[in-house]
Amino acid sequence: MRKTMTEGVVVNLPSFPFLFHTVSPSSSNCRLGFRRFSASLSTAVKEGSVSLGHSTRPDFPILHQEVNGSKLVYLDNAATSQKPTAVLRALQNYYEAYNSNVHRGIHYLSAKATDEYELARKKVATFINASDSTEIVFTRNATEAINLVAYSWGLSNLKPGDEIILTIAEHPSAIVPWQIVAQKTGAILKFVNLDENEVPDMEELKEMISERTKLLVVQHVSNVLGSVLPIEDIVIWAHTVGAKVLVDACQSVPHMVVDVQDLDADFLVASSHKMCGPTGIGFLFGKSNLLLTMPPFLGGGEMISDVFLDHSTYAEPPSRFEAGTPAIGEAIGLGAAIDYLSGIGMQKIHDYEMELANYLYEKLCSAPNIRIYGPKPSDNIHRAALCSFNVENIHPTDLATFLDQQHGVAIRSGHHCAQPLHRHLGVNASARASLYFYNTKEDVVEFIRSLNDTVSFFYAFK
Amino acid sequence: MALYSFSSARFCTSKFPICFHIPKPSKFPFFSNRSISFQKVPTKSPLPLQSSSTQLQPMEEFPPKLQEIIKLFQSVEEPKAKYEQLMFYGKNLNPLDTQLKNKENKVEGCVSQVWVRAYLDEDKNVFYQADSDSVLTKGLAALLVNGLSGRPAKEILRVSPDFAVLLGLQQSLTPSRNNGFLNMLKLMQRKALELLIEAEKGNGSSGNGQIENDNSEKPVENSNSDSKVDENSGVRFGSRKSNEDSSNGLGGRGMRIKEKLERELSPIELEVEDVSYQHAGHAGVRGSDGETHFNVRIVSKEFEGKSLVKRHRLIYGLLDEELQTGLHALSIVAKTPSEVEAN
Repeated sequence: MRKTMTEGVVVNLPSFPFLFHTVSPSSSNCRLGFRRFSASLSTAVKEGSVSLGHSTRPDFPILHQEVNGSKLVYLDNAATSQKPTAVLRALQNYYEAYNSNVHRGIHYLSAKATDEYELARKKVATFINASDSTEIVFTRNATEAINLVAYSWGLSNLKPGDEIILTIAEHPSAIVPWQIVAQKTGAILKFVNLDENEVPDMEELKEMISERTKLLVVQHVSNVLGSVLPIEDIVIWAHTVGAKVLVDACQSVPHMVVDVQDLDADFLVASSHKMCGPTGIGFLFGKSNLLLTMPPFLGGGEMISDVFLDHSTYAEPPSRFEAGTPAIGEAIGLGAAIDYLSGIGMQKIHDYEMELANYLYEKLCSAPNIRIYGPKPSDNIHRAALCSFNVENIHPTDLATFLDQQHGVAIRSGHHCAQPLHRHLGVNASARASLYFYNTKEDVVEFIRSLNDTVSFFYAFK
Repeated sequence: MALYSFSSARFCTSKFPICFHIPKPSKFPFFSNRSISFQKVPTKSPLPLQSSSTQLQPMEEFPPKLQEIIKLFQSVEEPKAKYEQLMFYGKNLNPLDTQLKNKENKVEGCVSQVWVRAYLDEDKNVFYQADSDSVLTKGLAALLVNGLSGRPAKEILRVSPDFAVLLGLQQSLTPSRNNGFLNMLKLMQRKALELLIEAEKGNGSSGNGQIENDNSEKPVENSNSDSKVDENSGVRFGSRKSNEDSSNGLGGRGMRIKEKLERELSPIELEVEDVSYQHAGHAGVRGSDGETHFNVRIVSKEFEGKSLVKRHRLIYGLLDEELQTGLHALSIVAKTPSEVEAN
């Protein structure tokens, strides 16, 4: 007979039906209170009576599978998002119907591919309210976009003694390219610390800004802390000294309305794969007057105007920064993702996620010995729908492994590409659960239940 | 329903010294001495995977302890109990000295931190020690430590990582940089190989000049009786090409090392060489003032009558302060005047 492992806690193993386990019928109903919807129901349901998570789930085939004997609960959206069938179809359709190289050919397929590719660019521009689609440069991902700004704008604009301000919560893709460029140009990197709410300190940032400041690089939403920075204000402070602002919007563009004109950002970057689009494509938004002054990043075809043996002239932006054959299918896939998201409405997505974020935070707080990083949600402080946390005396890797193997729950453990931040918080690693609009309250409930089970298991062993 | 095989003989043989730690019954149902008897359910086949895979190494080639461990895990069918068994191994692992938790001993590719250290006993068998901050990886490390320790290097080198599949722990065997288990085994095998090479080359001159082998050592004379504090990693026998001007470019630490050794050991020959540049880029080096790795060649009467291990212990003792403040590793050649003359 299987014995309980800790006093009073019954070990449930729903995924191993051949074992004894004592589950009272009523308790299993509350615990696994999934409401099951058939696919047809999602179209027939009136708006408002079904949560966004439930209504969109059928569009994501990958979510309907079992992992290690349990239903998959995917909570690693900050790492990458899942793709709806609309995007998958767009990709397939591109390759089946009109795949051809863009900008070069005259024939029908090439013209169609070019149209769709440029249409995708327009969709991105509209999505973030850029004033013109020539302000959108397609790159491989946000990391490449930041490198583009660093090598192109940075190398030609930074001088010894110039200062670049970042926060300690930045992703290495935002830090490392500037370290490299700072070394080459003699510029200096300065870092803003966290305040008592575990959010980058805006007072400190304001004080750091001086006439020597040439650039600020800030995350709109932190992938570890869940905090949201006041970009509009930061841009105002920066512009008073003539500094530019590069916004890392990887965790914000997929989840909320982002308007580059409202923000007045000089540069903004995001990746497609975090917003229901395919991997291999991302973009840089840059104000026209800035892009026009910037020299090329990568050299090759597409970005040239005339090529001679001893020199070449370059194309206008955005082509100037898009050397070689682009990721055409992927760009079109991103366009389809934007259509999908716009069809739901970013405000609606944001509101739903706020609800879910608060629910997650609340429920997570009730787990034993848990420490959640980042600010407490309140009227003034909104958190993104993600929580990085640590449970005392249990290594996050152990948590994540057990959650995956025993419960099919996918979270992340590690430093989430934020080593300086983790060092500052005094930990080696943390666990992180991050949601997207196709997650449901039941996902959160299942996560908490599994987490409690996991924690009990490890504590019992000690 | 799955039942467990519970033959006490298996757990408490002399081959499993760690299992003599019998936990309190209330916490470990797996090892409880409640009066419940289990019978082993005959499984479909002893090694269900062997029929499908042609490449699986035959059990007989594994070190005997490893075979026992594999069989033990196979008899436990329920995954949770497997984890408990794993963690139990980890719990009984001897803690690793903090000094040994350095870059040379760190397993790459683990999301948690894992260190492994190897040394030879008098019979040239390889022994391991390991530690980790995550209980599951500690368990895996302990499994390897228990399974592989006490065996000759050649046997250890023959072990193919496929056996992990037999454990049923759903260990991925993809050779990626993130596969901690695979990297653990690889590191242990690499260390065994290094120890083997050192041993075969004999005392004194190895001459292969590889800095990365700092972790291997060869305390051929009565090493096992010494406490593990003596056997520090980062110590390696072997002559280096000597630098005529050994104080060329020595910084503060280098000079301090030289002064200390000169004062305490009155050597007739002393060379201190800063080779930190060869380690630049290691995570352990970043943030220090750059003086992290040194070669030391010292000839002194003080070493007469002392075993190689004792000589090293002496030097390490003198430089303890440096070790606490950023000195990472020393590569030491310590001889007596008569030994030098004989060569």
